[in-house]
Amino acid sequence: MPSTEPSAHLPRRKRSARLSLAMMGVGAFGLSACSPPQSEEHVTDVSFDNPESYQSVEDCVAAEIYTRSACETAYEASLESVPRFSSLEECEAEHGEGACVAPTAEQSQVATGSSTGSWFMPAMMGYMVGSMMSNTNRGRAFERVYQEPVYRNRQNQGNWNTASNQATQRVTQRNEAMRSSIVRQATQRSGFGSRSSARGGWGS
Amino acid sequence: MLRIDIAERHNWKDLAHELGFHFHTIDGEPYWKEDAYYQFTLEQVERDIEAPTEALHEMCMELVDRVCNSNALMQRLALPEFMWDSIHDSWKAGQPHLYGRMDFAYSGDGPAKLLELNYDTPTSLYEAGFFQWVWLEQAIQQGLLPRHADQYNSIQERMINAMAHVGRGLEDATLHFSCVKDNTEERATVHYLQDMAVQAGLKAPFIFMEDIGYQPGGDYFVDLDNQPIRALFKLYPWEEMADDAFGERIPLMQTHWFEPPWKAVLSNKGILPLLWEHFEGHPSLLPAFFETSNSEPMAPGWVRKPFFSREGSNIELITDAGEREAVGGPYTDSPWIRQAYQPMPRFGDRHALIGSWVVGDRACGMGVREDVGRITKDTSCFVPHAIV
Repeated sequence: MPSTEPSAHLPRRKRSARLSLAMMGVGAFGLSACSPPQSEEHVTDVSFDNPESYQSVEDCVAAEIYTRSACETAYEASLESVPRFSSLEECEAEHGEGACVAPTAEQSQVATGSSTGSWFMPAMMGYMVGSMMSNTNRGRAFERVYQEPVYRNRQNQGNWNTASNQATQRVTQRNEAMRSSIVRQATQRSGFGSRSSARGGWGS
Repeated sequence: MLRIDIAERHNWKDLAHELGFHFHTIDGEPYWKEDAYYQFTLEQVERDIEAPTEALHEMCMELVDRVCNSNALMQRLALPEFMWDSIHDSWKAGQPHLYGRMDFAYSGDGPAKLLELNYDTPTSLYEAGFFQWVWLEQAIQQGLLPRHADQYNSIQERMINAMAHVGRGLEDATLHFSCVKDNTEERATVHYLQDMAVQAGLKAPFIFMEDIGYQPGGDYFVDLDNQPIRALFKLYPWEEMADDAFGERIPLMQTHWFEPPWKAVLSNKGILPLLWEHFEGHPSLLPAFFETSNSEPMAPGWVRKPFFSREGSNIELITDAGEREAVGGPYTDSPWIRQAYQPMPRFGDRHALIGSWVVGDRACGMGVREDVGRITKDTSCFVPHAIV
């Protein structure tokens, strides 16, 4: 039974509904949380199918992985789950100075059904789209798309494109002068981990 | 918060072996225990653990920003000077992180108190994120727990989301995974991380830290086939990386690290006095100070910790009543901090410690460790929890 109910309407639960393993142990392991009593369908195995994060619906569509309607559904779901504040100050108190914005008319329409709402939300860095592939006792079926904002909008934090570009530029500039004068030498190894035997484990 | 006796699942050891949890018993001593569980109310979890974790995480991020903009603070945290640019640049560029764990003293009444941050190489991830979740589901199915029982745990789900997000920025969606040789527990934890990466749609090859290669003039560290490692997850701490033979090469390489270099700011117990300086009086913080050569001998009610101790090593405490407790270890070559002693709750002869997880920027779950001593060590048992 494909569920169309948005997560916001499910009873509040502090644990994930389903977990699985892809490679540990003998084959995949999957188990689902006890289903709500009204559901007869028993989910026996679920795996997330290549979830991706996108900046916008257009980015999502352009990636040519999901249909436009899946991209739009996930975008709507993520907007619906964004916390809403009645003032900029309240939002900033929670999410930090400069981290909040007023929704655009379109975002407001999607989130509340009204384009004129006067509220504020943390700026979204992007949204997740993925499909949950379920094995159920009535055969394999697609479940709902899901989404989750992962990082807060803190300067560039979590803005991975910026991160990659800047780091690459920085190192490229630094190495350019070096490279012309260096003849490729043999690979050196054992340059990390030398103190492992002295100290044992690192887990903390 | 209660410690409740409960029947074990009859087949749990077989299940553990099938699911790659080979370190449920360490050196003949139980590590995973399910003859009891810790019981919380939803209010305790949300008000006393989850909310303070999110608040503290934001305070930590604010401090990272301050430290990254101050050579004086970098110095105070004993971060090696050749790493300062990498730390600063990785923060300014917004390199994403994956996860962290806060350790709390919490008795079920009043706010949890932060004992320390594990923001670079936190472990007990598999136990907390996966095996504990399976325990709850099966305990309900087997009638050991009521059907409405719940658990504060979306750790794995959020890790998969975070990895999927991170994967978008990785060339060829490939993230290498690494830890040192000859450590079963760490290899299993990394195996679990690889598993989640695969579920997030990434390619997740493995290489031991010792096998990572360096080619003079190259842009990246290389794997055993001399192919570039463009991004690497390491279950290996920044302070040791920096000290290793390849340490000073790190700033010259384009290899992306998880956790990113700016996590070195938070994986250092010097962050605890800085937190106290900037947010003194916060209900989840304990008074903490840098030890100096002028510091008085430690008085009752205080704890002494080296900047870089792990697994409880080299920690010494004196309770308010004057009882002294100490764990030996090799971490004697870094500065020390002092932190006010906060007793952990005691159940019989066991002290319970809360490990509260942050993935991306969200608090998302917890695990409980217990030990007969007041200092939590690598041998401290993991006991599952439930919200009932």
